Amino acid sequence: MDDGRIVVSGLTKQYPGLIAVNDLSFTVEPGRVTGFLGPNGAGKTTTLRMLLNLVMPTAGTATVGGRRYVDLEQPDRVVGAVLEASSAHKGRTGRNHLRACCITAGLPLSRAEEVLETVGLMPAADRKFKGYSLGMKQRLGIASAMLGDPRVLILDEPANGLDPEGIRWMREFLQGLAAEGRTVLVSSHLLSEMQALAEDVVIVAAGRLVRQGAVAEVLASMAGDTQIQVGTPDPETLAAALRAIGAVVQPGGPGTLLVSRTSAAVVGDTALAAGVAVHHLSTDQPDLEDVFLTLTSEKATIR
Amino acid sequence: MSQSTRLIHAELFKLRTTSMGWLFAVATVISTVVMFVINAVSANSLLKPFDQFVALETHGHGHGGRVSAEFLARLQSEWQLGHSAITQATTLYTSGQLIGVLLACLLGIVLITGEYHHQTATTTFLQTPRRTRVVAGKLGTAIIVAAASWLVSTVLSVVAGAIFLHHLGYGTELGHWGVLRAILLNLAAYAIWAVFGVGFGALVRSQLGATVAATVLYLVGASAASSVFDLVHTYWINKDWVLTLQVIVPEVASAVMISPTKTFDQSPAEWVGAAVLIAYGIVAGLVGTSILRRRDIA
Repeated sequence: MDDGRIVVSGLTKQYPGLIAVNDLSFTVEPGRVTGFLGPNGAGKTTTLRMLLNLVMPTAGTATVGGRRYVDLEQPDRVVGAVLEASSAHKGRTGRNHLRACCITAGLPLSRAEEVLETVGLMPAADRKFKGYSLGMKQRLGIASAMLGDPRVLILDEPANGLDPEGIRWMREFLQGLAAEGRTVLVSSHLLSEMQALAEDVVIVAAGRLVRQGAVAEVLASMAGDTQIQVGTPDPETLAAALRAIGAVVQPGGPGTLLVSRTSAAVVGDTALAAGVAVHHLSTDQPDLEDVFLTLTSEKATIR
Repeated sequence: MSQSTRLIHAELFKLRTTSMGWLFAVATVISTVVMFVINAVSANSLLKPFDQFVALETHGHGHGGRVSAEFLARLQSEWQLGHSAITQATTLYTSGQLIGVLLACLLGIVLITGEYHHQTATTTFLQTPRRTRVVAGKLGTAIIVAAASWLVSTVLSVVAGAIFLHHLGYGTELGHWGVLRAILLNLAAYAIWAVFGVGFGALVRSQLGATVAATVLYLVGASAASSVFDLVHTYWINKDWVLTLQVIVPEVASAVMISPTKTFDQSPAEWVGAAVLIAYGIVAGLVGTSILRRRDIA
């Protein structure tokens, strides 16, 4: 499959009195699902729309496989995008919506049937769009994005309005596409969703990049201050011993210390060497959702 | 299939798969029938000898000198202008025009504004990111549908009109170049109004705003313009060219273009009307497209 790398470089969108996206740069690699994460109003949708030539950037560029979207001769065969659940005419049936897309793209009408089958929308194909549930609208959006068998998929908050079963279906579907070597970029404001779906993550807040990288690494770096709780009858001696090896120690209540920048094993070994009894030893995993909220709320969300 | 052919094909398919398509067809047929009946009633009077015409127009009150001399003079002038099988044939054969070109204009508008109104613009511009191509496709579609509407309306009017004229003892007058030219120029009017509609729709994005504005301008534009130009002529510049200048109003230009006789005393030649209308179509199309190219779709 050709190079389907997405490169966003210095992208900026200024509205009167508001900078929605501010000098944003990141890369999205093929063959993996990349989560585009940030609170509502962080500029995710504006960024995706600039990438797709729907919103004109104030500055900066965005390319897919080295080319701007507007320069793609057959965009349907390169990029499939699902941007909003209501992008079909209310009075048209799902099948006719897909057929109109096929005609525009120069694809055989049989592709409409194939993608209807793929997303499991065949039973509702001849129903008008206005009668669709949100989940059916999302499936129709994915169906139309898949018409041209594109190597890049871009989805804006696809989980919105889906029931748990729909979310699981979507997750498996997108991960399957990535496994085939396609580029999959999915925006969301929910960290938990991205933990389950994505391998890479791009975190934005207030129109700026916060973190980018593999989910595991970014989470580890976010969770850098893992705390170890240790209970001991002699906190003074243990604290001195731990400080001596470079750990950060804080009092955590009577007979308890909160230790960071080390591991539970090192704390245990240090206590043994110092001849101090340990009554309790545990590692606190910080709540990632909390860390994410702290990280992104540092940039004001209401602008 | 080339891209532009595909885009037009897709637009026609989109029209067929919503209620828009048949609503337009029904409106075309109904407006043609209604206007034909009105024109036939008027032709029936005008083609009568003058005394019968007066009797019809005054509902029988004309006998016994109860009609003022002034009114009689006006009837005389009206009868002289209209008492010709050629003039009446032209009017009858182009019956659909008055409402038809407005429908063509509205269709052009809705082809563009409907994308925003029905929130399909995202899909459309994702599939065809070069927006001038989208507008070009819609222009082609508007012209094709307007031409089809002209064809339906013309076939209905010519068949009914020929039967009607035959019934009154006249020929079809279709051998007369002036009549044929009016029918063909009528096609041009449909097409140009459709193009104007697409440009206007790109200019005024709101579906309701654009359609209402276009309809009001179309319906009152000509008479409003006539009043304004009459005032200027009477109180300011008492020259004939001031009245001739009315042709810069699109509705007037349209009437001047297709009318085989003078629309008003100072009206310029048909080609002037055509040129003005084409200029409006081009300007609206260009301005609308340049705005639409830079507009954010959110």
